[in-house]
Amino acid sequence: MPASSRAVLQLSAIVKRYAPDRPAVLDGIDMELGQGEYVAIMGESGVGKSTLLNLMAGLDRPDAGRILFEGADLGGLDDDSATLLRRERMGFVFQAFHVLPYMTVADNVGLPLDLAGASPAERAPRVETMLDRVGLAGYGQRYPRELSGGETQRVAIARALVHRPRLLLADEPTGNLDPRTASLVLELLRDCVHAEGASGVLITHSRAAADTADRILLLDGRRLSPAQPAR
Amino acid sequence: MSSFGAVVRAVSLGRLRGQPGRLTVTVAAIALGVSLATAVFVINAGALNEFGLAARKLVGAADVIVRGPRQGFDESVFVRLAQEPGIDVASPVLELEVVPLGGHPPLKVMAVDPFRAAPMQPELLAGVGRDLMALFEPGAVALSAEAARELAVRAGDVLSVRAGAGTYDLRVVAVMPADAYAQRLALMDIATAQWVFDRVGRINRIDLRLEQGRDVGRLRERLAAVLPAGVNALNPGVERDRAAEVTRAYRVNLNMLALVALLTGAFLVFSTQALSILRRRSALALLRAVGATRRQLELALLLEGLLLGAAGSLVGVVLGQVVASLALARLGGDLGGGFFGGLEVVARPQPVVLAAFLVIGTAVAAIGAWLPAREAAATSPSRALKSGDAEQAAARLRPVWPGAAVGLVGAACAWLPPVGGLPVFGYVSVAALLAAGVMLVPAAAARLLDAVPSPAAVTWKTALAQLRGSASQSAVSLAAIIVSFSLMVAMAIMVYSFRESFERWLGEVLPADLHVRVASSSDTAYWTPADQEAIADLDGIQRIRFQRWQEAYLAPDRPPVAVIAREVSRDPTQALPLVRGADFELPAGAVPTWVSEAVTDLYGIDVGDTLELPLAGRRFDLVVAGVWRDYGRSTGALVVDRDWYIARTGDETASHVAIWLAPGASAEDVARRIRGRFERGEDLQVLTGTAIRELSLRVFDRAFAVTYLLEAVAVVIGLIGVSFAFSSQALARRAEFGMLRHVGMLRRQVVGMLAGEGAIMSALGVLYGLTLGFVLSLVLVYVINRQSFNWSIDVALPWVQLALLGAVLVAAASVTAMLSGRAATSAQAVRAVREDW
Amino acid sequence: MSRQAVAYGRRLLALAAALAAAPVPPSAAAQGHVEYAVVGPEGRIDLPADHGSHPDYRTEWWYVTGWLETAGGEALGFQVTFFRTRPDVPAGNPSAFAPTQLVIAHAALSDTRLGRLRHAERIARASHGLAGADVADTRVWLDDWQLEREGDSYRTRVDGEGFAFELALGATQPAMINGSGGYSRKGPRPESASFYYSVPQLGVTGTVERDGRREAVTGLAWLDHEWSTALLDERAVGWDWIGVNLDDGGALMAFRLRDAAGGEVWAGGSIREPDGRLRILAPNDVEFVPQRRWRSPRTGIEYPVSWNVHAGGQAWAIVPLLDDQESDARATTGSVYWEGAVRAIRDDSEEGRGYLELTGYGEPLRLPGD
Repeated sequence: MPASSRAVLQLSAIVKRYAPDRPAVLDGIDMELGQGEYVAIMGESGVGKSTLLNLMAGLDRPDAGRILFEGADLGGLDDDSATLLRRERMGFVFQAFHVLPYMTVADNVGLPLDLAGASPAERAPRVETMLDRVGLAGYGQRYPRELSGGETQRVAIARALVHRPRLLLADEPTGNLDPRTASLVLELLRDCVHAEGASGVLITHSRAAADTADRILLLDGRRLSPAQPAR
Repeated sequence: MSSFGAVVRAVSLGRLRGQPGRLTVTVAAIALGVSLATAVFVINAGALNEFGLAARKLVGAADVIVRGPRQGFDESVFVRLAQEPGIDVASPVLELEVVPLGGHPPLKVMAVDPFRAAPMQPELLAGVGRDLMALFEPGAVALSAEAARELAVRAGDVLSVRAGAGTYDLRVVAVMPADAYAQRLALMDIATAQWVFDRVGRINRIDLRLEQGRDVGRLRERLAAVLPAGVNALNPGVERDRAAEVTRAYRVNLNMLALVALLTGAFLVFSTQALSILRRRSALALLRAVGATRRQLELALLLEGLLLGAAGSLVGVVLGQVVASLALARLGGDLGGGFFGGLEVVARPQPVVLAAFLVIGTAVAAIGAWLPAREAAATSPSRALKSGDAEQAAARLRPVWPGAAVGLVGAACAWLPPVGGLPVFGYVSVAALLAAGVMLVPAAAARLLDAVPSPAAVTWKTALAQLRGSASQSAVSLAAIIVSFSLMVAMAIMVYSFRESFERWLGEVLPADLHVRVASSSDTAYWTPADQEAIADLDGIQRIRFQRWQEAYLAPDRPPVAVIAREVSRDPTQALPLVRGADFELPAGAVPTWVSEAVTDLYGIDVGDTLELPLAGRRFDLVVAGVWRDYGRSTGALVVDRDWYIARTGDETASHVAIWLAPGASAEDVARRIRGRFERGEDLQVLTGTAIRELSLRVFDRAFAVTYLLEAVAVVIGLIGVSFAFSSQALARRAEFGMLRHVGMLRRQVVGMLAGEGAIMSALGVLYGLTLGFVLSLVLVYVINRQSFNWSIDVALPWVQLALLGAVLVAAASVTAMLSGRAATSAQAVRAVREDW
Repeated sequence: MSRQAVAYGRRLLALAAALAAAPVPPSAAAQGHVEYAVVGPEGRIDLPADHGSHPDYRTEWWYVTGWLETAGGEALGFQVTFFRTRPDVPAGNPSAFAPTQLVIAHAALSDTRLGRLRHAERIARASHGLAGADVADTRVWLDDWQLEREGDSYRTRVDGEGFAFELALGATQPAMINGSGGYSRKGPRPESASFYYSVPQLGVTGTVERDGRREAVTGLAWLDHEWSTALLDERAVGWDWIGVNLDDGGALMAFRLRDAAGGEVWAGGSIREPDGRLRILAPNDVEFVPQRRWRSPRTGIEYPVSWNVHAGGQAWAIVPLLDDQESDARATTGSVYWEGAVRAIRDDSEEGRGYLELTGYGEPLRLPGD
C-alpha cells in the first residue's frame, strides 16, 4: 500500500542518549509514517527499538531532533498533555499483554473509552464491535484468566483500537505466543489497523513478524534504513 | 538434597538478591509485631513481679495470718494465741494508713514487735539495721527507701503526721535500703504506734508460725472457734492475693493491652508472610513446572518463613526490651497510671521470656508462610502461572464456617463466670470474637465490595474493580489493622461508657456543697464528737452529715468490705445511687443496710436477704434494703445508719463530713472557718463537690492515658502493616500502572486510583472494625469489667471520637496508599510494561 | 537503797508529766531518759528477797552452767541464761507493749559427738505475761522457756533447733555471796560493779533431747545471779570468767576484765572451801594466763580455750570439754562469745568441773541495754 501524502508521524534527526557522557543510542533517525500506513521496525535486541517506541509515544523526549505527531511536536508537550494525546489518539499492544486480571474482557477493552469519558451508550456497542472484530464475540463477561495467550493478546488488540486511535504502537506483540498463534495475531493486528483506518508501527526482532507490515525499516547501528520486503 | 538446595536458592535466595527492599519490609513488619508484644509483656511482668515481691515481703514467712478489720480487735487475742499449743511464734501487728502533713499520700505503717516480727518479715527488719531497739525511741519510725524519698526525709529528721484531728512528730530513726522493700512503707514499734495513734490495746493482725509438723488446717479450724466475729485465720496465700487486689485495675488494663499487642503483632507477622508468598505464586508454579516437588517447595517456603521469622523476631525482641526499659524508666512501673505509689520497676532482660517471644514470633511467621505455601505448592503449575490466580488462591482462605464457629465459641464464653475473681473467659471471649472477626474478613470484604455501587469516574471504577478482584488478598493485609482498630474501638467505648457512668455517679454520691475529710484515706485521722460539734457550730452551715468509714470481713477468704456509717435519710434513693430496691419495704424491726453491687456479686445476696455483719467483735443481722452502684471500691461497700452504728460500737468518731451551705454562705468562708478550727488545718481536705468531681475525672483520665497511648501505638503499627502491604502490592503492580499510563491514564489518576483503593478498603475496614469493636465492647463492659470490678456500667457510644478516629484512619490509609503509588508511577516505572518475567 | 528511791521518784514525776499531757503522747522532740538505779559499795545482797528481779537496774542475768552425764556415760555441757534488760525508753506509754523491760534467753548444749554447741536464743519484751522476770523470787520466762526457783531448787526448760532440755537443779549448799556482801567490783570506779551471788554444787536431774531422742541425765551445775547498771568500765572490752564445782564440794569463781590491749582492768573471785569458809579474792589474788588458742571457723575469732589460772594461791589448769563452744548471739544480745564446759586440773589430776566464759574477743562486748 503506498504511503499517503499526509504524514501521521514525522521523526527528523532524532538523537537519544541515556547519559550525557555515553554514546547515543539513536543518532540521526529520520522517519515518516503516512496516513493508514503500517510499518515494521526491525532490529536485534538492544539496538534501541523500545527507546524509539517510547519517543514515538511521547513517554520520553529526544535529546535532539523533532517528533511531530499529526503536526504536534511531542517534545514540546508536558506529561499531562502527552498523556491526553496518547489517550485520545494512540493505542498500544505489549508483548506481555497487560490486560487487567481483575476486570472482565469487556471492561478491559472499554478502558480507553472510560478514560476518554465515553457514555455507556457509546461504549457498549463499540466494545461489542471490537470484540467481534478480534473474534472474541461473546467473551465480554469472561475474565482474562479464562483465556489462552492468543485470546488475551486479541483482547489487548481490541483495547488498543477501541477508541479509534490515529496511531497504534505494538511492541513485540507476539513475543509470548507460539508461532502459529503469533502469525494469526499479527495478521489480525494488521487487518484491524487497516480496518480502523489507523496507522501502525510494529516493533519486532522477527523477520516473519515484520513481513506482515506494509514496509520494513531496519534499526541498526543507531540508524534506520529501509529493508527489502520479502514479498 | 542438592535438588532441595536448588529449590531453596530459587525460591528464597533469588528473592533476597533481587528484592532486598521487599525482604527488609517483611523482616521489619515481623520485628514490629514481635516488639510490640514483647514490650507490653515485659512491662506487665516486671511491674507485677515487683509488686508481688513487695507483697510477699509484707506477708512474710507466716504459716497462718489472723486478720481483723482495720479498726482492729483487742490485743488479748494475741496473748491467747501466743500461748496456744502448737504455735511457735505469734507476732502482733497493727497496720495503719497514716497521713503525713504536707499533702503527701497516705503512708502505710506496719507497727510490730520487732523481736517477734524478725522471723516473720526478716527482710524488713534487717532493713532497719542491727539495732532493732532504735525503734523503741519515742516516736521512732523506720522508712523504706521509697517512702523516705517521697517524703524527702533522712534518718534523724522529723516526720509530722496527722493523729486524730491533731498532729504528731515522728522521728525517722532509720531508712531501709532500697532492696529491703520497694514501696512506700513505715515500720514502727507497736507500742509507739498504739500510743501515738490512740490504739492502745488494739491490733489488727497476728502472724503465726507453727511448730514443726503441726497441721495448718486443723489449727485454723481451732482458731476459727475462738476468734472474735470478723477476725479470721487465713492462709498467707489469701493474704497475698488480697495485696494483689490493689493491682487489679492495672492488671485488667494491661492484660487487655497485652492481648491487643499480641494479636496485632501476630496478625501483622502472619499477613506479611502470607502476602509475600501469595505474590510469588507464578514463580513458585514455574519451579513446580521445572520439576521441584511439592514437598521441596513447601519445605523451602517453610524454611524461608522460619528464617525471616527468626530474623524479624530477634530484632523485635531486642527492640521490645529496649522500648520496655525506656517506658519503665520514663513512666514508672504503673506507666503513669498511679496504681503502685512509686514502685520502681526495672525491666531486667529475662532470657526465658525473650526466648519465648523469639520462638512465638518465629512460629507465627512460619505458620503464616506455611498455610499459603501448602496451598501454593498444591496448585497445578499451569493454573498458577496465569495472572489473577493469586486472588483465586487467597479466596480459598475465605470459607465462612470456621470463623462463625470460633465466633460462637467466643460468644458462649461471655456467659461463663469468673475464675478466681478474674474474667478469664471474658478474655477468651474477646480473643475468640476477635479471631472470628478476622477470619470472616475475607468473606465480609467480598460481600461488602459487591455491595458498593459502581462509580462513574474511571479511577474509582478501576480502584473498585481492583479491590473486588483482590478482596481476599486485601483482607489478609487488613487483618492487623482490623484487630488493633476494633480493640481500640472496644476500649474507647468501654472507657467512654465508664467515664459517663462515673461522672453521673459522682454527682449522685457527692450531693453536698462541701466535703471535708481529715485525710484522703487514713486510720489515724478523725474527728472526736467534740470536734464534730465544733464544726457543726460554725457559721454558714445549713445541714451537715458526718460519716465514719470502717471495714468488715464478710467472708474470711475475701478482702474486707467498707462499712460506711452515715445518716441515711428517710428516702435512700435521694442519697445513694440505687440500682435496685428503691421500692423495697423493710420488714418491721429489721435493721437496714444498703450494699454496693460488688457485695451482691461476691457474696450472692440481694435486696431482701439477710446479711451477717461482724462489727466490733460481734455479729449483727441486717436486711439488705437496696443495692447501689459504687465505683469507689471493687471489693464491696455497705451503708449502715450512723445512729445504729454508734449505739452498737460506741465509736462516735467521724472521718468525713458533707456540708450543705446556708443560703448566701460562701464555700470559701466555710472552708476557711473549718481549717482555722484545727491544728495544721491547711492539711484538711476541704473540697467542693464540683472540685472532687473534677479531681476524680482527672485521675480517671490519667489512669487511662497510657491505655490510649498504647492503643494508638497498636493502631499505628497496624497502619504500618497496611502500608507495607500497599507498597509491596504497588511494586507488584508496576507493570499494570505502566500500561495504564500508556493507554492514557494521567499520573494523578493512577495515584488517585490507589488512594481510592486505600480509602475504600480502609473505610470498609473501619466499618468492620467499628462493628466488631462494638461487639467486643459489650464483652468488656458486661463481662470483663463486671467480673473484674463488680460494678455495672451503662454503655454509651462516643460517636464523635469514633467518627473522628475512623476518618483519620481512612485518611491515613489513603495517604499511605498514595505515597506507595507515587514510586510506582515514576517515568522509570512506566517502562515496566516492557519488563519481562 | 536511797538512790533507787530517787530513781523511782523521778520516774513517777516523768509519768505524771506524761499523764498531764495526755492524750497526746510526748513528741519525739521531748526526749526523756530512764534514771537507772546504780550499784554502790553500800549495797548488800539480801536473800531470799534478792532472788527476784531488780527492774530498776539496767541489766540482770541468771546464768546456769553445768556438766551432765547420760545413762550411757556421755558427758555434756549445758548453759541456760536469762537476761533482763531495761532499755532507755521513757516511761509513760500506756500501751501494754511498751518495751520497759526486755527478756533475752540463751541456751546451749556442748555435744562432743557433734563437735560444737547446739545453741538457741530468744528475745522478747516483758509484756502480756508472755515474758517477764518476777520481782518476788527467781522466775524468769520467755514464752515457753523458763527458769524458776521453788524452795531450794530451780527448774529450767528450754528448746531450740534439734535440742531441748528440762532440768531440776537442787541446791546442796547455800548461795555464795561474791564481793563485799554481794557488791562485786568490776573496775577502778566504784560504780563499775554488780550485785552478784552464785549457787554452786547444784545437783541436776532431768532430760535432754537431741534430734528427737530423749535421754535422762544427771549432773552438777552452777548458777550466777548478777545485776548492774554500769558493769563495764569504759576501758574494758570483755572478760574471762570461770566457775568450777570442785570434787571435794568446794567452789571456785574467778574473773578478770580486759582492756583492748589484752591487759587487765580489774579482777576478782571467790573460793569457798568444802566446810563453807569463803575467801574473797582481790585483783592481785587472780591471774589468768592463756595457753592454747582456737580460731572459730565461723566468725574467725581466736579464743584462748585453755588457761592457767592462779587464784588465791591455787594453780589450776583449765581445759575445755571441746574447743568449739562458741555462741553467736548477735541476734539478741549483739555479742559473740565462747561459753563452754571445762575441766579444772590441779597437779595433773582433774579436781573439778565447771564453765569458762570468754567475752569481747571479737568486737568489744556490749551488754544488753547498753
